[in-house]
Amino acid sequence: MPSGVSETLPALDFTPTAATLDRVLTFLDDQDDGTASDAALRREALARYEALPAPGARPNRGWKYDYAALKFDELRWTSGRIEMAAIPSRPAPKPRPEEAGDLDRPALATENAGGLFFVGATRIDAPSNVDSRITVLPLTESGKHDLAASLAGTLHEIVDWRADKFAALATAFENCGAYVRVPDGVQLETPIQIVFASAPDDEAVFPHVVVILGKGARATVLERHVGDGDPFTCGIVEVHAGEGAELDYAVVQQTGDAARVFFSRGARCERDAQVRWYLAELGGALARTVLSAKLAAPGARAEASALFFNTGMQHVDLTSGVDHTVGPTTSDTVVRSAATDRGQGRYVGNIVIRPKAHGSDASLRDDALLLSKHAHIDSIPALEIAANDVKAFHGATVGSLDEDALFYAGSRGIARGEALRLITLGFFEPVIARFPGAALRDEIRTALDGKIDEATEIDL
Amino acid sequence: MSITRGLVARDLRVAVENKEILKGIDLTVEPGRVHALMGPNGSGKSTLAFTLAGHPGYQVLSGSATLDGEDLLGLPPDKRAKAGLFLSFQYPAAIPGVSVANFLRTARMAVRPEDLNPAKFRKLVFDKLDTLDMDPAFLGRYVNDGFSGGEKKRLEMLQMAILAPKYAVLDETDSGLDVDALQSVGRSVNALRESDEGKDIGFLLITHYPRILKYVPADVVHILIDGRIVKTGGPELANEIERDGYDGVRASTSSAQAEAAAARA
Ligand SMILES: Nc1ncnc2c1ncn2[C@@H]1O[C@H](COP(=O)(O)OP(=O)(O)OP(=O)(O)O)[C@@H](O)[C@H]1O
Ligand SMILES: [Mg+2]
Repeated sequence: MPSGVSETLPALDFTPTAATLDRVLTFLDDQDDGTASDAALRREALARYEALPAPGARPNRGWKYDYAALKFDELRWTSGRIEMAAIPSRPAPKPRPEEAGDLDRPALATENAGGLFFVGATRIDAPSNVDSRITVLPLTESGKHDLAASLAGTLHEIVDWRADKFAALATAFENCGAYVRVPDGVQLETPIQIVFASAPDDEAVFPHVVVILGKGARATVLERHVGDGDPFTCGIVEVHAGEGAELDYAVVQQTGDAARVFFSRGARCERDAQVRWYLAELGGALARTVLSAKLAAPGARAEASALFFNTGMQHVDLTSGVDHTVGPTTSDTVVRSAATDRGQGRYVGNIVIRPKAHGSDASLRDDALLLSKHAHIDSIPALEIAANDVKAFHGATVGSLDEDALFYAGSRGIARGEALRLITLGFFEPVIARFPGAALRDEIRTALDGKIDEATEIDL
Repeated sequence: MSITRGLVARDLRVAVENKEILKGIDLTVEPGRVHALMGPNGSGKSTLAFTLAGHPGYQVLSGSATLDGEDLLGLPPDKRAKAGLFLSFQYPAAIPGVSVANFLRTARMAVRPEDLNPAKFRKLVFDKLDTLDMDPAFLGRYVNDGFSGGEKKRLEMLQMAILAPKYAVLDETDSGLDVDALQSVGRSVNALRESDEGKDIGFLLITHYPRILKYVPADVVHILIDGRIVKTGGPELANEIERDGYDGVRASTSSAQAEAAAARA
């Protein structure tokens, strides 16, 4: 019955409801492509989504965004299977590779060890130069490739979706993702790239990225969000770093003006393992990110380096968390944020040092720069220390532009606007300097520079 | 009618936070000449320097300031620099995250957009670094961020050499320098004065000590007390001040003021 099929299957109108989930499950069952649709898990996750309160404006004076008012109008959910695009009765994703290339040619042109490229939830061909020592697959094909054993302990286990409303939503409606495995002892020189480009018509995209590093493995993953569409993206990233492994995981979010991008990213570090998160939230209307790391064995280390710059009406809501479960473990978190126009930001920094984490060392530093009187950034640190003989540092500042520095630059012939640009870019420099790779650092500088041009109201 | 060449203040009265600090300054720094300005702490030397450079916190009550006839007081700080004014700060501000190299390039480009050939610029910078005995590693550091007092002053001189202004106000550039640094600063000022682009620079050298004048001899010395230039003389005046302090000058001026007041009455 081709006509009936085309009406009900290719693209579901998305709402975060049981009715939509029923249709999703019906579709996934019909696919019969070896995908584990995991109906029970998805239903339980939706129930958690419904039960958990929206992380609202409640405790924070300045943060105006109310997640309870989140709208899902005119969004489509697709299965992310390429077959779907082929159903002719409705213009479904149909991403053409050449178009995909236009969206982010530099990302694909960059040397890489492999990766995946998505337009909406639909995967386009992977870059060709995949390093043969590693595995990079769409997560939706995990059934085909018999990855259950490898995923055990990581998939759905690292990010606590039962306690995180949007991780629960992502779990319920997951429609694309990546599986990356770097085996024991393999050390990559070039990054693995995972690119999410927005589809021409607005999609609800629910990615799930799993990165597993074996003992002593080393890798860099670069996750990019690009494109001019207005998607709702709600995803999960789960990282497991085996003994002595080292992972640099960088996220560059440069979506269009009306995009909403939510992610919960979590890592578990075994003995002497290191995970370094890097996050540059540059685009979108609303970005909500949770970056967390669990230091599960002695010698483990987590770093987080994050920046955001809210112009126009942008909202960024960032939470970082490090859980020192045992000692000695170390962590270092650095956040730099700026806002102008009517930009709103919130940063919540959590550090937990548990009773057994003796000898641990945690540092949390965040600095915010407000460039207009309607801009606002809240900074909410929370240190919970239950062990003795630990070192815990926390420092935070919220400030405006330094008039003395502006005058100093002015006295050197640098006009106020240009001085403001220099000083603002300089403000971000200590965190940019931590990002891996000169090309990536330059790209972020250029993007920030562009945002200063866009800002309409840098008043002081 | 010919314009007055020089950095000129006429009856300049300036208030900070509604308190009058400069009470009528008359001063002309001619091209190629060195004027030293001395005076006790709090007499208003930096206030004069900031006012000339256009600091927004300084309120001009009356008078004028011109650079080769061009009115300065109506211009924002960057336009004053473009007109040819340079201020070496007593306390230079830090600009974290902005490298010295980037800052120098941006400043030079702003002041002289016409002649920035990257290779030549690089050579210029390295030559000036050498004159100042500065490690090229400074180029990669953030502007004045974590610099020692002496390093900041050397960086001021590096910027002056690279911007080659028409008039330079040096606000206690010699304070807090060790002997070697003082020599470097002196050498750099003289090297600039001997160069083609620097030979006509007029200097207003604010200082507490005659020793800088050994390296950079002053043509004229002014004494500023309580917002007024109370005495102007030759180089010997600096030594007089060092020997006798300001009390002698103060006494003669206050009696002069008393006479003036009496005359008005
Ligand atoms: N921003 C300000 N707010 C209040 N008072 C100020 C301000 N700037 C200057 N003053 C006052 O103006 C007076 C002159 O200060 P100025 O810095 O010009 O002195 P100076 O001659 O440079 O002294 P020094 O030799 O110590 O550098 C002082 O009494 C000072 O306290
Ligand atoms: Mg002073």
